[in-house]
Amino acid sequence: MAFNKPRKRRKNSQKAEDKEDFSIKLNTNLDDNIENIKKLLDDPNDLVTRTFSIGHTKYTCAVAYIDGLTNTTLINQMIIRNVQAEVESPETKVSEAGAPLLDRLYNEWLSVGGVKKAYSLDDVSLAILSGNTVILVGGTDQVIIIDTQGGPERAVEEPTTERLIRGPKVGFTENIRTNTVFIRKRIRDANLRFQSYKIGRRSKKTLIVTYIDGIVHPNLISEVNKRLKTIDLDDAAESGFIEQWIEDSFLTPFPQLEHTERPDKVAQALTDGKVAILLEGTPFALIAPITFSNMLHSPEDYYERWLFSTLIRFLRYLAAFIAVFLPALYIALLSYHPGLIPYKLAFFIAASREGVPFTAAVEAFMMEITMELLREAGFRVPQPIGQTIGIVGGIVIGQAAVAAGIVSPIMVIIVAITAISSFSLPAYGLAISFRILRFGFMLAAAIFGLYGIILAYIVVNIHIVNLKSFGVPYSTPFAPSFKGGWKDIVIRAPLTTLGKRPGYMKPKDKKRMNKGGNTS
Amino acid sequence: MKPFDYSDEKISQRELGFAIPSVVIGVSVLTAPRLLAQATKFADGWLCILFGGLIALLFTWLTAKLAARFPNQSFFEYSSMLVSKPVAFLVTLFLVFYLIIFTSYEIRYIATISKQYLFDRTPAEVIGFAFLLVVTYAVTGSRAALFRLNVLFLPIIIAVLFVVLLATIPLFDWKHLFPLFKTDLKGYINGTKVGFFSYSGWVILLFYTGLMTNPDKAPKVTAAGMIVPMVVYTLLYMTTIGVFSNIVTRNLVFPTIEMAKEVKIPGGIFERVETLFFTVWIMAIFSTVTLLFDASIMALNSIFKKVKKQTIIFILVPIVYLISMLPKSLIQLVKFGDVLDFLYPIAEILIPFILFFIAYLRRKKGHG
Repeated sequence: MAFNKPRKRRKNSQKAEDKEDFSIKLNTNLDDNIENIKKLLDDPNDLVTRTFSIGHTKYTCAVAYIDGLTNTTLINQMIIRNVQAEVESPETKVSEAGAPLLDRLYNEWLSVGGVKKAYSLDDVSLAILSGNTVILVGGTDQVIIIDTQGGPERAVEEPTTERLIRGPKVGFTENIRTNTVFIRKRIRDANLRFQSYKIGRRSKKTLIVTYIDGIVHPNLISEVNKRLKTIDLDDAAESGFIEQWIEDSFLTPFPQLEHTERPDKVAQALTDGKVAILLEGTPFALIAPITFSNMLHSPEDYYERWLFSTLIRFLRYLAAFIAVFLPALYIALLSYHPGLIPYKLAFFIAASREGVPFTAAVEAFMMEITMELLREAGFRVPQPIGQTIGIVGGIVIGQAAVAAGIVSPIMVIIVAITAISSFSLPAYGLAISFRILRFGFMLAAAIFGLYGIILAYIVVNIHIVNLKSFGVPYSTPFAPSFKGGWKDIVIRAPLTTLGKRPGYMKPKDKKRMNKGGNTS
Repeated sequence: MKPFDYSDEKISQRELGFAIPSVVIGVSVLTAPRLLAQATKFADGWLCILFGGLIALLFTWLTAKLAARFPNQSFFEYSSMLVSKPVAFLVTLFLVFYLIIFTSYEIRYIATISKQYLFDRTPAEVIGFAFLLVVTYAVTGSRAALFRLNVLFLPIIIAVLFVVLLATIPLFDWKHLFPLFKTDLKGYINGTKVGFFSYSGWVILLFYTGLMTNPDKAPKVTAAGMIVPMVVYTLLYMTTIGVFSNIVTRNLVFPTIEMAKEVKIPGGIFERVETLFFTVWIMAIFSTVTLLFDASIMALNSIFKKVKKQTIIFILVPIVYLISMLPKSLIQLVKFGDVLDFLYPIAEILIPFILFFIAYLRRKKGHG
């Protein structure tokens, strides 16, 4: 409860501000309005205001937009030229100024799809700052806002963080419109819904909640909306802000929303009855709710044939096990239970550790921290030097440390296998939490050996069964299990046998395919 | 229609079905083959296990039937309806006492065996304390989550046990099992007693059945759950006798772990499988302890409704710890077990049976 208090207070004060903000109405005088807009924005040099006459009439109007944020061709061709040229024909006699003139502009002369009217200076400034164009006409306090968003944009690329061998090669971009298009292009369902929010007091970014009505459970939608409505911050720079604001618990290493750059992954989640959240300015969409097993699945599992996918999933669970447990097991076996190691290997390890001045635990911690450093350095370093880090880390540190007798070669092998395993996990979010857990397990192993590992394993399991992602237990579908859920956890059964959507989502429409085919 | 809210602390029938083997399979697995071998001759103990299991099954069914009559009511509520409030108060307190003794016994047992098989220098007090801390963390969480945990753990436990049993096939000698039926009646009775005592733990049904989404199904699923330990015990007993013969088994303190010691994993990835086996077995004992401890918390909570669950836990944990550290040696621990064997028939047979009888005669039913 204590955590909620500051948030509530902030919300109240925000409401008070809102009341003052939105009371500024527009003027009826054209020049005054333009002057007000300029004053409001402090007349920046990228603000373009142009006053021009409407065709051959005596009346004038003005456009205002921000240069660079807008599609200038559209403004020049479809707005200014139309208004200047179209109105010259004799039938279009304009007799009155003000609101009727604005209506005619609205109804007849503007050949643009996205047009709407606005009344307050605040709407106008938000429209201009979002890259829309405002048309002002003298004698009325209404304006027309035309959708002319444009500006620089990254080209669509293959998602760099989630590469697949087989699968579509497009990824989301920073432009939210492009992202919704990718979803629409995949799901041409009339029930596909986009609910939009404005996020951020200062940034006013668009956030879109998308789901398929008729599949998704209504309570999930209301829960997502309830949480999104509490968001009140200056700017959500990335969807990570949204994730951390609406997640169930922050006292956990596990992510409770999945982030992805892949439109096909989002589309699949939507047809499973989940909800996706897109935020303007980031290529990472959020998917909710997720479960532990979801994080070990990749979209490619469904694109490849089932036998291969099943084996790959076995491999992935093994990788998850190694990524978390291997250094801890090394510590436990060497320090507490050397008898468990086959004697030939035990002799080999003992011989290779000859002269190593540290205990197994210290050695493991040292090398794991070095590995984490290398990994971080590899991410941060400028691309051309990236190779150097690999050489420095892999050869110099690994080789030199062994040659100097500070660590044993077997430790280097352990660290390398652990790192490779953690890189082979499909979800970056889960890989991060495994990195945290690995150190916890190593600590437990250093204190209590195998007993410590099993106790730590039990603690992690207790945590997972208590954790929820939007009301769905994180341990689903292992426990609570659902009928047929086993077909898509560790194994991936043949596609035609996966006729039902995941039971834990409680979808309204349960069947996702008709097994007999559409033969009738 | 609130399917997205799982936090309503309801337990599905499958989860309750998993809870029975989880609570029953505990430390008794480690010693039961020895006690049975002492009571019977050759491999005749299997009859005792099955017969004891059938009695346990009957009482499990009866206990679940009793609790299922009063859905959404705590044990204290429905027992005071049946036998008046003061008597119900005493009965609940007795059950709490029994459950706490049981919990302490299991914790002490795991500390002792861990010391024997995993550590030689670490004191049992520290081992037990670490274990109790984990148990405390588990019971402070949601109750429904505890049942989810059992669903996660039970398959691992059973799988590891079966791996060990399968790996003993090369060591198995059929001659150890024969001749059949050489035990006298007294031996069978003693053996049945031993067999029956290793099924203890179903008393938790008195408390949990009321939390089920569908309590009417409870007797069926819990009886089905009881079949799992019956099968496990029978297989385990037969394998132990087959591997070691009756004479050797009756002289091994922990025959099950010793059997795991004999096992060779093909390929030689690991030696000393018993350490691994025992490590995983900690999970089984953990499941037992959390369910027993949580049941005692729930029983206390049903009497003292206004006291927070957390408060009860923090009062009980030191008590459990102190009781579990009372025995000084394995022999004292066995004596401690005898106390439990004395309480067990009262708590798990007499009380449910009398309550069921009264409920049946007075045709009392819950309002749930």
